[in-house]
Formats: sequence, structure tokens, C-alpha cells
Amino acid sequence: MNSFKLALKNIRKSWSDYTVYFLTLIIGVAIFYMFNSIGTQGIMEDVSKSGNDKVKMLITAIEVVSVAVALVLGLLMIYANNFLIKRRKKEFGIYLLLGMNKKKVSKILVCETCIVGIVSMFIGLLLGIFGSQFLSIIVAKMFAVDVTSYTFAISEKAAVITVLSFLVIFFVVLLFNTGTISRYKLIDLINAEKKGEKQIIRNTKVSIALFIISTILLVIAYAVIGIFGNRMRGRDFAFTAGLVVIGTFVLFWSFVGFFQTVLSKSAGYKKGLTSFVVRQFSGNMNTSAFSFALISLLLLAAICAFSSGFSFRTYLNKRLGNATPVDLTMRVWSVKPTEYLASKGIAVEGWAKEYMELPVYESNEITIGDMVAPVIEEAKKTFMYARWDSAENVMRLSDYNKIERAFGREELKLNDDQYAVVSDFDLLNTFQIAAIKQGNKLTVGGKEYGPAYNSVNYEYILMSGLTASMGTIVLPDAAVDEGSGSFREDSYLLIANYKVSDKQGRYKTDALIMDKVGASVEAGNNGEDAPDGINIQLSTKNQVEDASIGISVIVVFLVLYIGIVFVVACAAIIALKVLSDSIDSVQKFRILSRIGAGEDMRKKALFIQVLMNFLLPLVVAFFGSVFMLGFIKGMLSSVGMVSLGPGMVISALIMLLIYGGYFLTTYEGCRKIVK
Amino acid sequence: MERNECQGYSVYGEKKIRRKVRIGNERINEMSVILEVKNAEKYYGNKGNLTAALNDLSFSVEEGEFVGIMGASGSGKTTLLNCISTIDRLSAGKALIGGEDISELKGKKLDEFRSRKLGFIFQDFNLLDTMTAEENISLALSIKGEKPAEIEKKVNDIAEKLGISEVLKKFPSEMSGGQKQRVAAARAVVTDPELVLADEPTGALDSKASKALMESLMKLNSELGSTILMVTHDAFSASYAGRIIFIKDGKIFTEIVRNEGEERKDFFKRIVDVTTVLGGEIDELI
Repeated sequence: MNSFKLALKNIRKSWSDYTVYFLTLIIGVAIFYMFNSIGTQGIMEDVSKSGNDKVKMLITAIEVVSVAVALVLGLLMIYANNFLIKRRKKEFGIYLLLGMNKKKVSKILVCETCIVGIVSMFIGLLLGIFGSQFLSIIVAKMFAVDVTSYTFAISEKAAVITVLSFLVIFFVVLLFNTGTISRYKLIDLINAEKKGEKQIIRNTKVSIALFIISTILLVIAYAVIGIFGNRMRGRDFAFTAGLVVIGTFVLFWSFVGFFQTVLSKSAGYKKGLTSFVVRQFSGNMNTSAFSFALISLLLLAAICAFSSGFSFRTYLNKRLGNATPVDLTMRVWSVKPTEYLASKGIAVEGWAKEYMELPVYESNEITIGDMVAPVIEEAKKTFMYARWDSAENVMRLSDYNKIERAFGREELKLNDDQYAVVSDFDLLNTFQIAAIKQGNKLTVGGKEYGPAYNSVNYEYILMSGLTASMGTIVLPDAAVDEGSGSFREDSYLLIANYKVSDKQGRYKTDALIMDKVGASVEAGNNGEDAPDGINIQLSTKNQVEDASIGISVIVVFLVLYIGIVFVVACAAIIALKVLSDSIDSVQKFRILSRIGAGEDMRKKALFIQVLMNFLLPLVVAFFGSVFMLGFIKGMLSSVGMVSLGPGMVISALIMLLIYGGYFLTTYEGCRKIVK
Repeated sequence: MERNECQGYSVYGEKKIRRKVRIGNERINEMSVILEVKNAEKYYGNKGNLTAALNDLSFSVEEGEFVGIMGASGSGKTTLLNCISTIDRLSAGKALIGGEDISELKGKKLDEFRSRKLGFIFQDFNLLDTMTAEENISLALSIKGEKPAEIEKKVNDIAEKLGISEVLKKFPSEMSGGQKQRVAAARAVVTDPELVLADEPTGALDSKASKALMESLMKLNSELGSTILMVTHDAFSASYAGRIIFIKDGKIFTEIVRNEGEERKDFFKRIVDVTTVLGGEIDELI
């Protein structure tokens, strides 16, 4: 019999052992393909065509994340494979005893890995291709994107990336496999089944003390994050998060001692198979407290990522609603936009139904730092690289109110000695508001101005979707007109509505303009010098809308991607751990049967045993997520985001599907052992 | 106490073993039969190639007896034990324990039967290595559904009898082989089963531990009145039993009884004699 046939036979024989391996591989390949094909999916095509840099950046982010995901999946494969080898040590030992050399045994293993790899890659790719269409439709629904132009798309690039990545993973797995086989001694292979788990006995008093301490530590750390998280500095936050990590590890380490001691004193301990289940679980936790803690933390990260990611999407959709009141906003430095555009052969009158041109000044006297003068020391800690001495932008009240009218917003009112701050930069706002609350005075042309409002006017002057400006000061007209020595003209704003009013028509007008000034816009966005010396910031309704959709789609995708991979990895590791323990359990359940434990009793014991392995890390993660989500909610609501409810429901469903699926597969796999 | 020894005949050829055990009348009144095996047959293989592991085998064990079953490997003694212990099923014939036909038991009834009527001692101890000695012993009781307070008392009593009180809190990995086997014995008898089945209990023990274990088993037999059926191929261990049934090729070859007042040493010699004859038969074959 040649190696290939033998390998094929082996796979068929140990099919149930391969189930989890197969499952994980298929899901891995499918997810890998789905997310790498995002760029070419119908919905994202328009978005990426609009040429927004941020979208490109985020697509790159997915590619970068994919590398990390490939690494995680690779490690998972190696782990899963080790499990398979462990399970079949004796079989390999017999091959060697029969005179097969290690090379030949390795060859059989190589064949097995290849067959399994190729089959699961094929199935995974197929699933991924269909899954990605499904994902497209869901996302389109989520973001109310027009799906009439939707076509069935297969991304060749994604397929190639997927195949290549997994080939590398398989190759590494192969290296590990052959290494493992040649490392083992024949005697260990033959006697593999006889070796029992070592019983590590930890000091119960120390365990109980540590368990209580770590629980208190965790509760405090989580509570601090939940309640004060928003106001914490980076360093304090990292410290508290560190406490959470350490607390979790200690908790899992000490859990066994506590659990065993408390339960063995309870009345129920000597009922049926309770003592057996408790001991089994303790033994299991003893040897893998570290993995359990890690799994729990990963699950916590996944829960938080899911919930907040979906809320971010809701937030963006909401914000998008009032982010594009006009068709085009443009800021040009040094020349007037109308003149500039005319010189390029695309005079405004040619395409705009209505427009206005407004000057923006730069103050010679007021700096960005002056705006936050009373709290500048704290501000400097947050914005370490800001140039606080650069000049602040100023607009005349009547000019600014024109924008307010055009954008459908409420006009500002100022007395002769008052100013207002326009800014939508949340982090800077905190300091600007603090300064305003302290009555921060600004001196222009020898005259003092005080704040007219007790907060900043949270608005933008250029449409941009997500980016925020450092802010603009609005002063009474007279202040600017009379104090000509204090101001210099900096740039002009052009705000316009197109003659066309449908989305496709707007794309055409956008293209017409971008064709002429695109190079300058790109330079302006990148902070470089434009080829013709004119810097421009420009955004159109379509661009902002597409970018916002694109960004939120990608944020949701990234979150789903990382979250799902985390959950799959966690579930697969637990599944493999439980399954490999079940090899040792066969004998134990046989003993139980002989001393009279019925099949129902054994089944129940096994079920609880498997369930506890899956449930414990999840429960600890869930406990943590309650606090963490409190923090995330606080953080999100501070930037105007809505509730976490829908996100949590979706994440719960995803978790249930993956985690529950692995649980059931594992339980089914283990059930044979009680028969 | 008269008891006729049965005669074993050569196994070959047409001659069938006719085994008759006559039991004295007074004795049958005193004692009830715990185990009765009637014309037991067990075949392995398929139609074309059938091997008989048990071939029309009959015997019985009375309450309070300590019976040894001996035979070379392949003689069918383990098959017999497996069938009695309900781990395996007979192809034909009957096995009754406490008057109940075990071949008719299935599912839950079988499990319950096992937990109430049988106790097991295995060659490789079969203790649960994740549990302490105490927990191992009490598990047999908790499976039966006994009350925790009862369990503790019973476990302590049996531990004292078997001299394992000081290892109760230890895990199997911390015990010697002899201690492990005594814990296993304690687990087997703590539920007060009708029949204790021991499969090569000294197989994994050195001679000193073997002696201690056999003495413990004898003590259980004489003091607690446990009925023990032990499979062994070790003449020394067998000499602690009251009666030895020799099996060969799935049939009973012969049976010897330790006479009242007979020194164990003498009984041992007789056992060795029979085993020599058993071995001799094989020599004849060659």
C-alpha cells in the first residue's frame, strides 16, 4: 500500500478526530478569503473608485490585519495538528515497529496533511466566495446602498492571497509534523496511551487567598475602567488594563484550589458523579490555567470589538445624515477660488447653480495656544506634537453666518466685544471649552474680546465626513474690518450647489472638477506643495458620503474579521483541548461504567465537563465585558454615539453560532467515549 | 462436609465433559447460590471461522465462597469473567447472579444491576488518577445514591479493615501498587455487592504486596462474608481461595477444594500439581 492510499484510509478512519481540524481550516480559509476580497466586492467598488485616501488606507489595514490573522490561524493549525499526532502516537509507533522508517511515516503524514489541506481549502474557498456575496448584500442593506448594480464577484487576488497564505501555513505544519515524529522515541510512541496526566497539587490556602485577591482586584480594575475610564490618562488606563490582565491570569491559576476546596466541602459533592466531574475539571484547569486565561481575555476583546464596532456603524450612519448639506466645499489658499477655477477652464458659472465665496483670515495676534491659554499645560500633555504658536483662523461673523444659512444651521450672535469658537475636534474641544468656561479673553488690535457662548459651536466649515479642524474663531465684522493690521487674508472658501441634482450627475461634475484640480487637491490633502503653487482642500457630497460608507463598512468588517477569528481561535483551542483530554478519559469512563455508573449518568457527567470548559472562560469574559462596555458606551456617547444594544445582539448571535457550533461538535466527538 | 470433586477429562475428540457437582444437603440449605453459570458458550469470529472461547461451561458459586479460576492464557478465563461481569455477553447458555439472568438485562437495568450487585478489582487497579483514594472509594457509593453521611462512615470502616486509612487523602500517583490495589478492593466491596469479581488482582504487584492483598481479600471473605470470584494464573494467589476451578480450551478441566484444616502450603502444592498436569497436556500435543 503506498503512502497516499494509507493516508486516505487513515483520514477516513480517524474522521471524527479530524472534524475540529477540518472545521477550523474551512472557517479559516472562508473568512480569510471573505475579508481579503472586500476591495473587489460590488459595494466597495464605487467607494474605492472615488479615490478617497482613507478608504485605501483602511483596505490596507485589512491586508495588514490579515497577516496577523494568518499567523493566528497558522499557530492554530500547528496546535490542532499536534493534537492529531498526540492522538495517534501509538499508531505511528506500530508503523515504526513494523519496520517502516521515520521518513515513510512522515511521508504518510505529509500526504494526510496535503489531502486534508487541499479538500478543506477547496471547501473553504467555495464557502468564502458565496459567503462574501452574502456579506455584500448584508452590508448593502446595513448602509442602504443601491444594490441594483450588484453582480456576483469572485476576487482572484483574494483567492491567490488565501491559497498562498495557507500553503505557507501547511508548509510550516509539515515541518512541525516531521520534526515531531523524528523527535519521539519508539518507546514513548508505543506507551503513549499509558501515560496519565500528572496531578499537580497546589497549596489550597494560597489558592483560596489568591482567588479572593484576584477577584477583588478584577472587580476594582473593571469598575475603575467602567466608571472613570473616560477621564483616565493613557498611562493610568494602561496600568488598570494591566491589572485586568494580571488579575485574569491569577484568577484562573487559583481558581482550581478554590473551586475544589469549596465544592468538596459541600453536601452535593458526594452525589452521583459530581466529585468525578469536579476533579476532572480541576485537573484540566490545573494544567491549562494559562490557556484558559488567555482565551478569556481574547473573548473579552472579541465581545468589546463586536459591540462597539456595530455601534460605530450606527453612529456614522447618523452623522452622515447632516454631513453633506451642499454639493461642494472648497478652500483655496492665495487666490480666489472663482478666479482659480476660471483659469483652469472650469468657471464656477458653468456647473454651479448657486455658490458663495468667503474669505478666511489668519490672525497676527491670536495663536492656537491662546485659545486654550488657561489650560495649556494639560493640553500640551495630550497633544504633544501640536504647534501651539501657529496662527488661528478667523472669520467675520456675517461671512460665517452665511455658511450657517447655507448649511441650514442656526446663526451666531455676537456683541461688539465677543467671540465664538467653531470646532468639531472632540479632543481639542475639551480644552477649548475649559478655557471658555474660565472666560478666556482674546486681545485683537488692543481690544479685548470675551466668549459669547459658554461652549464651542460644534460645527464644521468644510465638509469632510470624519476629519476635524483645529477650529476657527468668529469675530464681529467690525473687529476684522477695522483691525486690518491684525489680520491677513489666508484663504477663501467656496461653497456651491451643482446644477445637477442626482448622484450620477454629481459624479460627472466631480470628475470634471477633479480632472483639472485633482493634483493640487491631493497635494493639499497630503500637506505637500501643489504643482502650480496653489493649495486646495476640496470635498464633494459624493466623496464624503462614499468615504463615510466606506470607512464604516471597513470598520465593521475589521471588527467582524478580528472578532470572528478570535472567537474561532478560542473555540477551536478549547475544542481540541477537550478532545485530547477525552483520549485520557476513555479509560476513566470505562472504570465508571464498571463501578456501576449508567450511560445516562456518564453522558450527563461528560456534558457538564465539556460545557464547563467552554463556559468558564466565556463567563469571565462576559463579566469583564459588562464593565468594559460601560466604559465603551461612555466613550462613544461622549462623541454622540447611540446605544450599544444592536451591536450586542449581533455580537451575541455571532458568538453563539461559532462558539455553540464548536461546543456541539466537541460534545459529539467526545460522546463516543461514554458508549 | 462432603463434596465430590468433579472429574476433568481430556479435551480432545468426541468426549464431552460431564461435570457433576454434588453438594451436601445441609450445605445447600445453609447457603444460597450467588452465581450460576449454565452451559455457557461464547464464540468469536464469523460464520466461516468460528472460535469457541467458552464451550458448554457450567459451574456455580455459593454465598460466602472464595473461588479461584485458573487456566493458561487463551483458556477462556477472562472471557468467562467478562461475561459474568456483564461487560460481554454469552453466545449461548445462561449466567444467573442472585437468581437473575444477566443476559436479559439491558440499558438502565443493567447499569443498576452492576452498581448494586457487582464489585470489581482489576489487574491494573483502574483507580481514577484525578481523585483521592477516599473519593475513589466513595464514588462507588455515590453512584448508588447513598447519603453523604453514610458514605463517609462506610469508607472509613472499610479503609480501616484494609489498612489504608492513612492513604485516604492521597492520589493514586502517591501510593504504592499494593496500596492502590487495596483501595481498589475497598471500592469493590464498600457497596456490599453480592459478588466481587477480581481479574488477576496480583498481576501488577510484587510478591510482598501480593501477599498483603491476598490476605486482605481473605479477610474480606471471612469477616465480611464477601463472595469473591477471582481469575488468576498465579498459583500462590490462588492458594488463598477456598476452591479452584481450572479451565482449559473453554471447558472446565477440573476443580479442587481446599479441605477444612488444610494448610495453605499444601493447597498450594496441589494447585501446582494440577497446573503441571495442565501444562503437561500441552506437552503431549507437541
